[in-house]
Amino acid sequence: MLLGESRIVTALRKAAKASPADETLIAAQRESFTTFRFAGERIHQNFQEEDVTVWIKVACGGRMGVATTCSLSHEALMRAIESAVTIARVTAKQVAPAFSTAPSKTQTPKLTTHFPATVHQPLTEIVPMIQRLWTKAKSSGMSLAGSFVRGEEELAVVGSRGLTQYQPFSIAGLRLVPTKGRASGFSAQAVRDLNILDSEGLLARAMRFCRMNENPQEIPLGKYNVLLEPEAVAELLEWLGYIGFGAKQVMERTSFMAGRMGEKIMGRSISIHDDGANPEGLGVPFDYEGIPKQRVSLIDQGVASGIVYDSQFAKLHRQTSTGHAGSYDQYEGPLPTNLFLSAGDTSREELLKKMDRGLWITRFHYVSGLLKTQEALMTGLTRDGTFLVKKGKSNGAVKNLRFTQSILEAFSNVAAASKERHLVADPAQGLSAAVCPALLIKNFTFTGQTK
Amino acid sequence: MDGRARNLIEQTIKSLKRRGVDYADLRWVKELHEEIIVQNLAVQHISHSTSEGVSIRVLHRGAWGYAASSRLDGPGLKHTADQALEMARAVALTSQGKISLPAVEPVRAHYATSLEVDPFQVELQKKLDYLFWAAQVLKDHPNIKTATASLEFYRTNKLFCSTEGSLIEQETTESGGMLEATAILGNEVQRRSYPTANSSSLNQGGYESVKGLDFIGQAARVRKEAVELLRAKECPAEMTTVILMPDQLILQLHESCGHPVELDRALGMELSFAGGSFLTPDLLDHFRYGSKWVNITADATTPSGCGTFGYDDEGVPAQRVPIIRDGIFVGYLSSRETAGRIKRSSSGAMRAEGWNSVPIVRMTNVNLEPGTGTVADLIRDTKKGILMATNKSWSIDDRRLNFQFGTEIGWEIKNGAVGQVLKNPMYTGITPEFWGSCNGVAGKGEWQLFGVPNCAKGEPVQIMHVGHGASPARFERVQVGRKR
Repeated sequence: MLLGESRIVTALRKAAKASPADETLIAAQRESFTTFRFAGERIHQNFQEEDVTVWIKVACGGRMGVATTCSLSHEALMRAIESAVTIARVTAKQVAPAFSTAPSKTQTPKLTTHFPATVHQPLTEIVPMIQRLWTKAKSSGMSLAGSFVRGEEELAVVGSRGLTQYQPFSIAGLRLVPTKGRASGFSAQAVRDLNILDSEGLLARAMRFCRMNENPQEIPLGKYNVLLEPEAVAELLEWLGYIGFGAKQVMERTSFMAGRMGEKIMGRSISIHDDGANPEGLGVPFDYEGIPKQRVSLIDQGVASGIVYDSQFAKLHRQTSTGHAGSYDQYEGPLPTNLFLSAGDTSREELLKKMDRGLWITRFHYVSGLLKTQEALMTGLTRDGTFLVKKGKSNGAVKNLRFTQSILEAFSNVAAASKERHLVADPAQGLSAAVCPALLIKNFTFTGQTK
Repeated sequence: MDGRARNLIEQTIKSLKRRGVDYADLRWVKELHEEIIVQNLAVQHISHSTSEGVSIRVLHRGAWGYAASSRLDGPGLKHTADQALEMARAVALTSQGKISLPAVEPVRAHYATSLEVDPFQVELQKKLDYLFWAAQVLKDHPNIKTATASLEFYRTNKLFCSTEGSLIEQETTESGGMLEATAILGNEVQRRSYPTANSSSLNQGGYESVKGLDFIGQAARVRKEAVELLRAKECPAEMTTVILMPDQLILQLHESCGHPVELDRALGMELSFAGGSFLTPDLLDHFRYGSKWVNITADATTPSGCGTFGYDDEGVPAQRVPIIRDGIFVGYLSSRETAGRIKRSSSGAMRAEGWNSVPIVRMTNVNLEPGTGTVADLIRDTKKGILMATNKSWSIDDRRLNFQFGTEIGWEIKNGAVGQVLKNPMYTGITPEFWGSCNGVAGKGEWQLFGVPNCAKGEPVQIMHVGHGASPARFERVQVGRKR
């Protein structure tokens, strides 16, 4: 059950009004999640959690302090404000953030992000649904591991200068990994509306990959053309967002975008933007400072075209905030969390047929983008399905491979992108997502193989 | 915790017992966190966080049910208990095999971190002065563009109460921080960190432990090495001998030993997310994981370790458990339920990130036991190789076999002596082959303990504080550098 706008906003307004600071900004995120994890024909973990986190940022004479609490009670909020004010008083004067004023109604996009059906389905229906999936996998000789998550979140931001924002969200997700011996497959979906979760379709896809993944062979290391499924593309895209598209990383010059704005750094077919208002993703209309999320073009036809800001970095760069502030206790700076990679004009099926020889990769595992962030040099492994393709058809599975590859170079070698795009998200973190096509990339470098 | 709240908790457990559950436990957790970051001689961030709530776990009709809430009053606790029971009843519908929970001896106990100076009583200004001084030394070169110094403190209070009769109170205090210098020259960007990179290195202890890190003394070395890296030669791509310093070895231990010996992974319970393990139960007690030099212990009793406690989150006492003995795989990190499935007893490694997460099998302090001699001896005996320090990047496959690590800095070793600095060092290998090539571990005098506060596992992801100790160690025939 949602706590509701009135209850949360009233509590925050009362605290902001009573704050002794010059300015006070309060963000509250309340969440309620149910999780089932299963493997070996049993649910081995299940969990219902209700939680609220409140972040408070105050400014006193140009000095700033941050504190958090886990209660909406007036006493707890005032204790946190007092703690933030104490911090602000000993902090040296700094470039204080421009605290938000109330955005006009037209600035904040109207999004439907809460679907009651998602959270109202009884547990006594969910559990048998999960059991049906593992029974079906078993009838095909497979064992099924996975998780089902559903929940709701409320995000509210209130400022002492009149800002008020509130948005409720629902989220559900299913992740499936069938196994047969050492072979495995994968499929996952995250949705705001549980009614559109396609559990049977997901199982069929994951089981198809598992069947194809039996008896994997070793192949020589080197450069291969690859067909990356959207889940694999999303992992690379999210790493690009983390190491490159935020103002802090650019200011500290660790980003591959630093000093290269207006320069072509990827292929012409690649356009990347961040857009919290696009319902094709997991829409989130405003950030933790209450600023409406802007559509920010990050890469435009291969050219470095923009980065995201919060109010603090916007002020430092003499820009305006793009609505990408995170919670006040994190210091990684503004980050894009609703990424979109442009679609192509080839159907997903045609992409495979276009491959004369190469590798078809379902997803990556444990990617690290920290090797050389200025080149977006990354490493990681393939997982749950890597297939050798010959003349447009799968020609058997290969053992999982390690890539070590500059993603700027890879995204300069894109031969085609699918016209269909897929939303990839972790349902337990329902305020961020990536929307990606499948990509056909030439000369992707593999440097290792698993046993 | 006040007497009224404690009474409510005990009443909740009694009430669950009356309602006929097979077993129940309740964890109340309150956590304080303070973080202070100074960057380029200005305060970048200070925050104080508080979080408090309860988690209730019931075993009913052979199925688990868990629920957690920050509502700590009587009706709130009852609601959370009802939710846990509702979950167990729903799961019991699947008529899966009944869960067996081997018994543990009920205890009434108390554990607290031993500390000299309570970090939450030290004035903020004093902490800032320490950081500003360190940051000033760190920044003192025109090529250092970003100099960051930070401190972090955690205080966790827990009360564990079970239907078996256990009542355990614990208070842990962790203190730590880090230095980070980013040097830039043209397009070259290099970073050096201390004591570890990417996050604070924490230890259980008070403010005395961060003073012991000697930020002021270390800052000049960190700055010098960051600047040296700007003009350094690239790490070559070749097979060679590698000596790893403890601040890299801890990540090697973490990824290639700590995770694969988690019994829930080995039993397939993490297959859908983190993955499985190549160390399956049929390999116990005979599989050669490493050379005779390799002795690895999971030790929840290591003094000042981040994975040290009195009792785990299901009331099992902290233990020191051999994992690899003389190179042979002999033990797991386990819980009561998972250990029961392989007919062993729990190693006491069931831990939850906070009140709002389920306890799962986690690392404690997974340590490489010291060998003999010194790193100088290892270097002296090396004709050609590379010395690598401070983890920068990490990646390993879902069964924990194929790994690749990058470090912040390396040095050539030629004819038994350390030579020029190498930038962007990285190495890759297959876990048992790599540990099998270990031919020297330095002694106790160079053994260092680090706290790793960012170990991710579970769904939803839980971030755990774990510890690792190691002395420098040497490995033969290792693939280093970037193959193109």
